[in-house]
Amino acid sequence: MVPNPTTGWERLQDVFYRKRAEYSMMWIDDVDLSEFIVVGAPYGGAIALVRDTSRPMAYRGPEGRQKMILIYSNSGQLISNIPWDKGTIRGVGWTDEEQLLIVIEDGTVRVYNDFYGGFTQFSLGKEAEDHTVSDCKFWGSGFVARLGNGRFVSVARLDEPRPRMLADLSTTALEIHGWALMSPLQTLSRHIEVLVGFNKTVSVIDSIESQDRMLEEGPFSHIAVSPNGALLALYTTYGKVYVISSDFQKKYSEYDTGTLDSPLQVVWCANDSVAVAWESEIRLVGPGGGSLSFYYESRIALIPEPDGIRIVSAERCEFLTRVPEVVVDMFRIGSTAPSAILLDAVEQLEFKSPKADDNIQLIRSSLTEAVDSCIKAASYEPEPYWQKRLLKAALLGKSVLELYSSDEYVEMCEILRVLNAVRYYEAGILISYEQFIRLTPERLIDRLLNRQRFLLALRLSSYLRLPVDKVYVRWACNKVKSSTDDDAAICKTIVNRLKPIPSVSYDEIARTAYDEGRTKLATLLLNHEPRAGRQVPLLLDMEEDEIALVKAVESGDPDLIYYVLLHLKGKYSLAQFFRLVNDKPVASAVVEQLARDDGPELLKDFYYQDDRRADSALVIYRESLLLDDIQDREDKIKLGMKIFQDSKDSYSDAKAMEEHAKLYDWQVTFEKDYKQMFIGLTVAETIKKLFKIGQSSKASKMKSEFKVPEKMFVFLKEGTYPVAKKS
Amino acid sequence: MSGILPTTINPKSLKADALASFLTLLESVRGKKSLILDRTLSAPLSHIARFSVLQEHGVDNIFWLDDGPQRDTAQRNIIYLIRGDIKNAQAASAQIKKLLQTSEVEFDFNVFLYPRKMLSIEKVFEEEGVLGDVTISEWNLGFIPLEEDLLSIELPEAGYKGMYLHGLPTTVNFSAIALNALQKQYGIYPRIIGKGAQAKKLCDQLIRMRAEAQSSSSADSAATEWAKGETSAFDQLVVIERQTDMVTPLMTQLTYEGLIDEVFGIKNSQAEVPSTLFTASNPKLPANGGAPSIVSTTPINEQRKTRKVVLDGHDTLYASLRDLNFAVVGTTLNKFARKLNEDYEERHQAKTVSQIKDFVSKLGGLQAEHQSLRLHTNLAEEIMNRTQTEFFNRALEVQQNMVASGLDTSTLNQTIEELIVRGVSLDIVLRLLAIECLTSGGMKEKELANFKRLIFLQYGYEHILTLNALTKLDLIFQRGSKTSANATTLQFSSLRKNMRLIVDDVNEQAPDDVAYVYSGYAPLSIRLVQYVIQKRALGTKISTLGGSGWRGAEDILRGIPGDVFDQVQKPDEKSIKTKVLQAARKEVKRTVAVFFLGGITFTEIAALRFIARQESERRKILILTTGIIDGRDIMKTAMDITPSGVSVSAE
Repeated sequence: MVPNPTTGWERLQDVFYRKRAEYSMMWIDDVDLSEFIVVGAPYGGAIALVRDTSRPMAYRGPEGRQKMILIYSNSGQLISNIPWDKGTIRGVGWTDEEQLLIVIEDGTVRVYNDFYGGFTQFSLGKEAEDHTVSDCKFWGSGFVARLGNGRFVSVARLDEPRPRMLADLSTTALEIHGWALMSPLQTLSRHIEVLVGFNKTVSVIDSIESQDRMLEEGPFSHIAVSPNGALLALYTTYGKVYVISSDFQKKYSEYDTGTLDSPLQVVWCANDSVAVAWESEIRLVGPGGGSLSFYYESRIALIPEPDGIRIVSAERCEFLTRVPEVVVDMFRIGSTAPSAILLDAVEQLEFKSPKADDNIQLIRSSLTEAVDSCIKAASYEPEPYWQKRLLKAALLGKSVLELYSSDEYVEMCEILRVLNAVRYYEAGILISYEQFIRLTPERLIDRLLNRQRFLLALRLSSYLRLPVDKVYVRWACNKVKSSTDDDAAICKTIVNRLKPIPSVSYDEIARTAYDEGRTKLATLLLNHEPRAGRQVPLLLDMEEDEIALVKAVESGDPDLIYYVLLHLKGKYSLAQFFRLVNDKPVASAVVEQLARDDGPELLKDFYYQDDRRADSALVIYRESLLLDDIQDREDKIKLGMKIFQDSKDSYSDAKAMEEHAKLYDWQVTFEKDYKQMFIGLTVAETIKKLFKIGQSSKASKMKSEFKVPEKMFVFLKEGTYPVAKKS
Repeated sequence: MSGILPTTINPKSLKADALASFLTLLESVRGKKSLILDRTLSAPLSHIARFSVLQEHGVDNIFWLDDGPQRDTAQRNIIYLIRGDIKNAQAASAQIKKLLQTSEVEFDFNVFLYPRKMLSIEKVFEEEGVLGDVTISEWNLGFIPLEEDLLSIELPEAGYKGMYLHGLPTTVNFSAIALNALQKQYGIYPRIIGKGAQAKKLCDQLIRMRAEAQSSSSADSAATEWAKGETSAFDQLVVIERQTDMVTPLMTQLTYEGLIDEVFGIKNSQAEVPSTLFTASNPKLPANGGAPSIVSTTPINEQRKTRKVVLDGHDTLYASLRDLNFAVVGTTLNKFARKLNEDYEERHQAKTVSQIKDFVSKLGGLQAEHQSLRLHTNLAEEIMNRTQTEFFNRALEVQQNMVASGLDTSTLNQTIEELIVRGVSLDIVLRLLAIECLTSGGMKEKELANFKRLIFLQYGYEHILTLNALTKLDLIFQRGSKTSANATTLQFSSLRKNMRLIVDDVNEQAPDDVAYVYSGYAPLSIRLVQYVIQKRALGTKISTLGGSGWRGAEDILRGIPGDVFDQVQKPDEKSIKTKVLQAARKEVKRTVAVFFLGGITFTEIAALRFIARQESERRKILILTTGIIDGRDIMKTAMDITPSGVSVSAE
């Protein structure tokens, strides 16, 4: 018999909460949660159990030591056991992408990209190394670490981690009690802020400054920020809970727990109430000062979610959440809400009672809302039985309505099917509808892939009309990692399976093969990659340099071409490098540009190597024009000329250069003789100037020497252009 | 995501989006910041954000990349806003390295890369050892709306130099990225049709980008944002590459806007004009402070001999004048002056209080119009003075003769010779020589040698470099000596006839053909566009062919260098829901996007607007380009190889 939805509802002031046992834990050997730090990935993700080395624990034989980091599903199934050989762990957290983060005492951060030990690693910097990390707080895409010297380091993103010191807490701070972080999504500034409880007050720190909020109710041992960032819960060392607005302007409530025992956790249950957890009790404190207690026999761990709290205990995994209004209206005993009447109508209909129609007529005017409410309520119901009843009620109501868009109804049916599938204990993803909407379907699929549930991921992807190539690629990568077949066989298996998928990308698979040390397999796979550009970085790693260059050029993407060329330029000798690009016009043009930016020397080398004499000569000529000393200039021009003369084609340019050098010669003489500025003038200007200073014989000499046409000469002399003679 | 697309392209929202995304980027750096700007990005930036807006978002000061940050005034947060090329990255990393070594301050370095993040740039930072010290983000600005019907990528030199002189793939690639972004937002181009070797590459890249986005959901999440394409706002994309028609930009532009550009130069919708054109009683006219764009924060001319005026469609008088042939600008100004006068006279008719009130409310608008009228009257007068000079007219005559008949080059050559000897500015000479080469298939060896000698004597030997560059650009060359083997020579004489390039009886008052923009010469580039979307304009011989796209033009097109292509893009099959909507939208006028790869001139813009008006019943035309270019810019491309400081001699 399916329990009534109201089972387990508990009233806190004027709202209801429900705590529902979702799974009975299937821990393999009896896990004692008190020996572990328990951290769950957001949105119903996996649970990491990391041995808490600060506590004594029962000796369980030599294997016990190897169980440092264990990853479990919500149903208590062991997903993996990550071997650990590094130092003391000071922080454990998850990202929204379900990457496990482990922060080590010396400031090293490991990011586990999958559940099977594959990780990247970075350091929090020198200051963290010197002062060691004390503890860390995490949010969906980053974290903040507190160092031994009381300073904080933030990491805003993990794809390109840039540890950044936050402002120093004003120096008089004696003792830090509790602290919390506000993620960029929660602050007004859209940047990370840290709230630090010290002395009796709280300070807000960001990257620029720290600001004492001048409270007097402290010391605060725990600080919690509500998911929407609007409210703060402050827990004092003497057992009081204050709820205030996050701008510290308004106090909303105050509650005395009546105990001096320090709680294990203080977290928000959505944005409505604050949960305080001790060893065996959870107390939910409501906004009006009311509270609600839940008792346990053994150690528990709370995992806050945007819409509630996951509670993990030795026996069960539960979800505690406020009962939404629409569900209360639906199921509250004696409810006369239209939605409740509509639900009743379905029942009457099943009994073939005419009352069904009476019900419908009764709520006729608000039928649309009733249908909407039924659909909405279904989203909150974890039991498929009640989901179906509610959707059936919606269907009935909808059939009576003349105009009603079915989109939402259809979408809800689809989503609920998906949610039920992933919530099933095998996948063990305890995700609510609201969380699903926040997480997005794409990332839910990623989570299934993380768990290597390829078939389910594939089914759900096609069901939700999401692209399936990602699933195939991940499957293939897994195949590459785990298969012991020979390279050709694996490649064949993969290609056969991926063939029907349009333009699926092989680069990631090939990369995996390469990382696994299977270079030959990588090459085989890479040949199937349709996108030239995608192959390039891997090809470079595989030292297939020339192919990488060809593919980069093929892609037409200048970035890739530059990238490959910079890579090769550092690797080969200049001659080898130039030879590599010689026969590739686009690559050659890019190298020429690199050389042009670099300076004339490289450019000359390049032209020389490519036997482009005319270009060489012009570069030298150009260089000459920039020289300050006139003699240097002439010498350089002559050098350019020489190279020109070796080549047959541009004789006239060589000739012109020769004349240019000659002009300088003449001008040097003129400057000496007439103490006037000549250098830099053109031939025409020189002649004009000679006329001006009365040296017409020199002007005539210039005319013959530089073969100045008669008309130009006359114009320079007389200032009028001779009229063409009619022949 | 919904698959329902806006039916029209809205440049205003494009601009707002560009601004919003830039400000988000700015805000990602907390607190006050110093902005270090790549010079080539100041134009695009000034189009989307005024300096005051940047200030409001924490930009304390701006430095040019060439100068670097000044240590004593720089903020702790430093943002490099640079175009993603190697040289910039090297300059930035050198500055960063220096600051890290010499300064006590804990700087926070950010690099905003335009138009996207790049492996090669990261590689440079890595090699220089500063990759760990900088946060790299991307500023992916695509097209910048210059006018309601005109979007530009604003590449330096309109991408012309990089593409043709240096043979770099950047122009094509950036264009493809920008066009692809537009296609993502407004729906696919159902057909991509065009002419030109680089244009073909562009088309290939566009098609590949879409194919990759369609399949690779795993690689970038942006793929999911891809508009579903059922209700595309576009009818087709016509790509015209600059190289297919180099004659047009070399000709002297004869529209009002074109002439302002020829005489004063228009950069960034601004022209620098002599300040004598402003009477002192005109305080409100935009001087430097009028439009506080990025550029104008650094006064270019200290003596204030010149002033900057903003020339864009916001000035209604200018909007109505700019595309007219200059010959009719005078009469139009007269008409406008009379009307304005009448409007002012209304005040005498205003008898009742409400009438007076009515008049006063209009007064502000009238005054603005009055100022605009004064500016344009003065401008037109100044241009008139210049166009009446002998040099201007002789050059014009040579041009017109070359495109119109091409016969008897020897007489024309004599004129050019005379112009050289008399010292007309070099770019004018080079433009004439290039037009001659292009229209008559090159110059005879002896003639070319003679001109070269004259140029060296008159303008200096350093122009050896200029002429070499022009040969590389296929602009000035010897007959039968084409450098690249596959380059076809422009068959201008047959095109003149087949494409109706010369229209003898052009009516400048009430033009009936695009040829009015050059007083009788119809730009080849525009004729190509018309061949695709307006065959009837090309005369009965072609309009009766009736085929779509290039069909029937194969022989004609063979006389123009560059490949021809005509590609159909099929919409996505995924979105079924919107199919119904599509049927309903059949009636909507769709947009023909015309993309000029390698730059467009003001006259070509005017001609395209002319076509748009003629076609307004059937479709809209959106003009897209890599930048606005003119003959002087093209010659500068070749000339800036020449170092300017030749006369650095001793004494």
